[in-house]
Amino acid sequence: MKNARDFLIVTNNPLLAQCMGDCYELSFFPDCSYREILVKVRDLVYAGHILYTHPLSGSVKPNETPYKSIAVSKAPHTFSAEQAGIIAECILAADKFPPRTRALGEAVKRDFQLIDYTLLAGALEFDAAAGLSKIKNHE
Amino acid sequence: MKLELGFIEIKDIQFSNECKVENGTLFVDAEAVKTFVYEDDDVKACVKSASFDIARPGESVRITPVKDVIEPRVKVEGPGGEFPGVIAKVDTVGSGRTHVLRGMAIVTAGKIVGFQEGIIDMTGPGAEYTPFSKLLNLVMVCEPVEGVHQHEYEHAVRIAGLRAATFVGELGRSVTPDEVKSFETYGIKEGIEKFPELPRVAYVHMLQSQGLLHDTYVYGVDAKRSLTTILYPTETMDGAIISGNCVSACDKNTTYHHQNNPVVADLFEQHGKTLNYVCNIITNENVYLADKQRSSDWSAKLCRLLDLDGVIVSQEGFGNPDTDLIMNTKKIEQMGVKTTIITDEYAGQDGKSQSLADADPLADAVVTGGNANEVIVLPPMEKVIGTLDYVDKIAGGHAGSLRPDGSIEAELQVITGATNEMGFNRLSAR
Repeated sequence: MKNARDFLIVTNNPLLAQCMGDCYELSFFPDCSYREILVKVRDLVYAGHILYTHPLSGSVKPNETPYKSIAVSKAPHTFSAEQAGIIAECILAADKFPPRTRALGEAVKRDFQLIDYTLLAGALEFDAAAGLSKIKNHE
Repeated sequence: MKLELGFIEIKDIQFSNECKVENGTLFVDAEAVKTFVYEDDDVKACVKSASFDIARPGESVRITPVKDVIEPRVKVEGPGGEFPGVIAKVDTVGSGRTHVLRGMAIVTAGKIVGFQEGIIDMTGPGAEYTPFSKLLNLVMVCEPVEGVHQHEYEHAVRIAGLRAATFVGELGRSVTPDEVKSFETYGIKEGIEKFPELPRVAYVHMLQSQGLLHDTYVYGVDAKRSLTTILYPTETMDGAIISGNCVSACDKNTTYHHQNNPVVADLFEQHGKTLNYVCNIITNENVYLADKQRSSDWSAKLCRLLDLDGVIVSQEGFGNPDTDLIMNTKKIEQMGVKTTIITDEYAGQDGKSQSLADADPLADAVVTGGNANEVIVLPPMEKVIGTLDYVDKIAGGHAGSLRPDGSIEAELQVITGATNEMGFNRLSAR
């Protein structure tokens, strides 16, 4: 079973922060890039935090979407070489994609945020649609 | 379980005021298809418009953004119906007789999200990369009702495509097929008795299951909510698995790929000759790491339980699924079962980078479907079905991808089916 109280979500996704922020502990870095989120998670894994979700979730490529959200354990446990391997390989894989300089429109940004949010919500068994209605009601 | 497929060769599609298949020509009334498609409440609520067009091999036509490709079929004998648990009732399929309108497909196209992807060129260099350029395509372009959520809309367009395919497939019910082929696998004991000397081989079929726009459904069940399990290969051939995957055009498995899975076809080709094709093991590609561990443990456990000698493993997608692929392969090998994997590669535009986001020495037999990062140039086409609005945004496209003359410079990723990881494409390496 998944223990929601043990989740720490590392994210740069403002939509996720809005929808999930009052249910989970977040490390929200709105100014960080996709890669910088991976590096922050790598450092947490090195410190013994358990990696709960795959860092390269989604087939949207690392140079397409600016948004990334990853769940780790709140508390550090024992260092896992296997998990350190996964996050290291993911950073290498992300670096294969040449950076793009294009500016994304607000609607496209919102769609990228939505995909990142729903993938993580699905993994943590959080009701993504309910999260979205919550923010709609506030608007 | 035994399935007969009756293939009706479709040589042309014509819009008409009636609907029938006659002498290899599909005559179709677009309004009648639309009426049937709109009998679904979700389609009614979410799809503002659905318009139809025909794209034939060799025509100067570009279809984009492509959502799904579906082969029209109809169950004419035996239990169940097309797309069980989604369109037909949930009865088990894979036996009896199904008619197939071969040589054509229903293609759904139109915006779902703002970075929507997928190109099918019907001629030129792009056509060489996609198997769907060889088909007569009845294209349904959908547009959303304003304000509808993307997840509701994706569902509605998925259903719309399946309903259109069901309507067209039904037209083949009373047509005498040009060719009939039968496919049969056996129970465990029966199979061993029939082929005592042949190696026992199965297909570990990994299904994309990460979440919104990244899903696959088995008898209507979201694959992420299923444990690894077993199917008769004929169930897959008979519409049990459908695609809800809209991301990464080059290596997503469309519903057409599931219906015509080349691994299943090739294993049946060798069944009873060089191997005993035991079953398909379906497993998922979830985001939660403990799910990956559980699912891959179960893949390996089932391989051992079935006393297999070898398996073929195919994956779907990039990054996250690479981890499932390697977990499956490593654990199955550790059970003493030989593996060969099918994947594609993201090896960088120069092809020099490591291809996958994970690796293991036990994964030492690999078939590639090509390098998705390879840069290609697609010349302009005279006609576009859908819209080019998203070409700059799609996977592998970049700012400036769409040139003023309508040509496109992008990575191979943009082309639907270009590096398919079931091997349903023309690229590989030796």
